[in-house]
Amino acid sequence: MPSPIDLAELPFLREALFELVLLAITGGVLGAWVVLRRLAFFSHAAGSATFPGLVVADASGVSPIVAGLAVALGYAGGVERTGGSGREHGEGTALFLVAALATGVILASDVFESGAAVDRLLFGTLLGLGTGDLVLSAVVALVATAAAVALGRTWSAVGFDPEGAEALGLPTRRADLLLLGLVAVAAVAAIPAVGALLVTAVYVLPAAAARMLTGSIRGLIACALVLALAEGVAGLYLAYWLDLPPGPPVAVLGAAVCLVAAALPRRTA
Amino acid sequence: MTAIEVEGLAAAYDGAPVLTEVSFEAAPGQSVCVLGPNGGGKTTLFRVLLGELEPVAGRLEVSGRPAYVAQTERTRLDFPVTALDVAVMGTLTHGRWWLPASRSDRAAARAALDRVGLADQAGIRFGELSGGQRQRALLARALVQDAQVLLLDEPLSGVDPASATLISGVFQELRAEGRTLLVASHDVESARTFDLVLCLNGRQVAFGRPDAVLDRATLEATYGHELIVLEGGRGAVTVQHHEHGHED
Repeated sequence: MPSPIDLAELPFLREALFELVLLAITGGVLGAWVVLRRLAFFSHAAGSATFPGLVVADASGVSPIVAGLAVALGYAGGVERTGGSGREHGEGTALFLVAALATGVILASDVFESGAAVDRLLFGTLLGLGTGDLVLSAVVALVATAAAVALGRTWSAVGFDPEGAEALGLPTRRADLLLLGLVAVAAVAAIPAVGALLVTAVYVLPAAAARMLTGSIRGLIACALVLALAEGVAGLYLAYWLDLPPGPPVAVLGAAVCLVAAALPRRTA
Repeated sequence: MTAIEVEGLAAAYDGAPVLTEVSFEAAPGQSVCVLGPNGGGKTTLFRVLLGELEPVAGRLEVSGRPAYVAQTERTRLDFPVTALDVAVMGTLTHGRWWLPASRSDRAAARAALDRVGLADQAGIRFGELSGGQRQRALLARALVQDAQVLLLDEPLSGVDPASATLISGVFQELRAEGRTLLVASHDVESARTFDLVLCLNGRQVAFGRPDAVLDRATLEATYGHELIVLEGGRGAVTVQHHEHGHED
């Protein structure tokens, strides 16, 4: 069994640890709104929908982050257009996810030759996290925190009572678009570390568990942040120990914590 | 001087007309009961007055942006917001939707909660309040908006007697302050306590003082077979109101 101190001492693990701490901040702050606004499916799909962008980026030499951001933001805009303000976006999410995955598969199998880089981006990697990845995650964490502080009560008003929010004269569609866009960008930021297919592990599972353990929005955000941090660090250690990509152990830990939280007496109605 | 003036108004969804020939006006301090069956156009009228739906014909003038009090069933009871959080939402109409609530926003929300008798319940989650308390929290959200015109969608439906008395008291205060109230209701009998009654059934059936409007012929034109005339013809209830009574 390796020493946990390696996480702080080995440079590549230190970078991965720093990355997961940044993602945990976003996971706590933004994840709370993902769960409250019932965007878990969208959050998962936003990561997966970047697949065609990652394939094209791999084949053309374009930065996968740039390609992923372009696809994810387009995805968020498309989903928002198909949904009503303040309402759930399930159908639009499914529609665009299927289209994106199918396009990605065609591109990967018939147009380009999908390389190992795409596999790494789908499942994450401890190696090769660059400064650009860390900077993007830091910017996303900062923007997500600022947005949650500034727009929290508007997102809250729309989620609590969509019709009432419209009657208040709030720009509900713009507020929704901002939230969806932020979630999409955050999903792309998480791809290098946990992979496109396991973005949910950072942005949904900790907040979903926290939702079952807390009764206020502030409590939910704080609890989600702590859980995302703990699961990220523990998952990274397991990945290092078992020689796995970090995404799967973080996801398994997140799911286990959710199951434990679900088994505990509920505090929320 | 009028607070609301509507003339020849018509509204449609996707080109299909749902409300036509609506003309009425209300002065500051007046209360208007909007009667009509489900699908009769009450909510559509409110949406037009709120500016959410563009009328396809006619004109309207409303004094400022109205405040709207929805039915509590439209809210998410699992959403972790307190009565104070809900009241604070009313300050979002002040145009600072991209900023967190200020101290004065919270003070205004606390004052509104105090006015509806929920000062001691400010920290309780909305979903844990009783039906009447929830309605009062939504009323507090509207009071915070400081609007001249308030649109209320069945505010006394499913409300306990104590809350109903309190809410009615607030309505009296609002009218005394010169605010105009439009209250959508199925309760024909309570409509007699309003200054004016507007009957809708896809079009305007009648508008005027209760004693001039609330006769059997008008109510039958408004509700059709959904109207139940009480024995002796001394009163009438609608099927919806009758059913609400049993639900609650």
